[in-house]
Amino acid sequence: MTMSTPLFDLYDREKQLLAEGPAVLASGEAAQIYIFAQRLYERFSKVVRENEDLTRHSDRQEQRLVKLNQSLKAQTRELDERRHAVEELSRQLSKYLPPQIHEAMFAGRYDTRVSTQRKKLTVFFSDIKEFTTTAESLQPEALTEYLNEYFSEMTQIALEYGATIDKYIGDAMMVFFGDPESRGVREDARACVEMALKMQQQMKVLGQRWKARGFENPFVIRIGINTGYCNVGNFGSEQRLSYTIIGGEVNIAQRLESQAEPGGILLSYETYAHVQDLVAVEERQAIRLKGIARDIKAYAVKGRLAQVSPVLVLQDPAGVAIHLEPQEMDSASRARLAESLRQLAGQLAPDA
Amino acid sequence: MSELNIEATERTPAITLSGPPWRLSLSGESYPEDVSAFYGPVILALDEIVASAAHAMRAELSLVYINSSSIKALYRIFEGLDLCRQKGQRIEVCWRHTEDDDIMQELGEDFQERFPELTILIESQ
Repeated sequence: MTMSTPLFDLYDREKQLLAEGPAVLASGEAAQIYIFAQRLYERFSKVVRENEDLTRHSDRQEQRLVKLNQSLKAQTRELDERRHAVEELSRQLSKYLPPQIHEAMFAGRYDTRVSTQRKKLTVFFSDIKEFTTTAESLQPEALTEYLNEYFSEMTQIALEYGATIDKYIGDAMMVFFGDPESRGVREDARACVEMALKMQQQMKVLGQRWKARGFENPFVIRIGINTGYCNVGNFGSEQRLSYTIIGGEVNIAQRLESQAEPGGILLSYETYAHVQDLVAVEERQAIRLKGIARDIKAYAVKGRLAQVSPVLVLQDPAGVAIHLEPQEMDSASRARLAESLRQLAGQLAPDA
Repeated sequence: MSELNIEATERTPAITLSGPPWRLSLSGESYPEDVSAFYGPVILALDEIVASAAHAMRAELSLVYINSSSIKALYRIFEGLDLCRQKGQRIEVCWRHTEDDDIMQELGEDFQERFPELTILIESQ
């Protein structure tokens, strides 16, 4: 049975009646007009009744739509309020969770089961030299102010370098690279050391700022960094989880930190191996750790290796000095400058 | 005599017509793009039944949403059923609506009022 069977019009009877009208009226025959009027009356009565029902039904539907619309608006408002509440909760939670975990969790990509895996990570520890003594010499309000400033600045740097901030332990920071995101073991180690250098540099800036504000012996931090296999993931129970790392290599990083000079960075051999073209180091006495058979070679960072970037210098007794860093210029600029210098040399030549 | 078996779509109800004894069933939503084209076969089939020998008929209408044009089509269907009744056929109409759908319930009551001689049972399901 197809839908296109004989052409049908729902209003066929009404239209038929209307079509007959002109001829009947033109006929002028009273009997014919009377019969027609009767048929018209019957049909018109039905149409009026139908129309009443249709209009009533249409009004009911409209009323339902209005109610639905109102209900929809109320639900949208409620959803908006809930969304704001979730956003606020998310914002608050973001301060307690590593950003990568927070992001994965709110994107629905984070698995909250108790599960861990072994991964090669670069682990960073820092703490403030003689914090207890320093803290005792400060008013609690001042201590809170300086400590918050210190953690805010260090955290900002850590996030800039893509670190996963594991936790703050008193005045100490535990940070790692390589999970949940990794750029490869070598790049993770390099990012960690770069971060540490930046932190120590920033500590000097902070120290000056604090001194100017009356903090006589500003905080100085020690940093220890180690690269090695750790267990990383969700530790704890189904009721309470902690995303963290554990293992001997974590202890080594902490021990390196405790052995570092104030204001210094102490690396294990493996970390150093990944950054030897980046920093100058001085080998320190190996560290022995309980439960670890091997001695841990330690390398104190003495600073960045001078950038291997040729600098072109022209110093002439006539008082002309040119100092060029070609690596800072693009090839078009270099070519343009070379041409300008050639023209200048041409004009300068005695036979020119 | 045409039997019908039209499958439901998002906009149109499933329609079956079989018999004799005749059994007509409409179920689903009804807001076809072209009401005349969609309901034409049902109305024409009913006209044939009206013109044929007398047989009993049971019609079951379980519509969820229906637009105004479809109501006009339903009027034609009810008129056909009423004509069958006038010819002495035993006609039974069951109008079903979902429990909380007062609009469809009231529409069933409107048909009861318009066709008082027809047996129209209104059932909530």
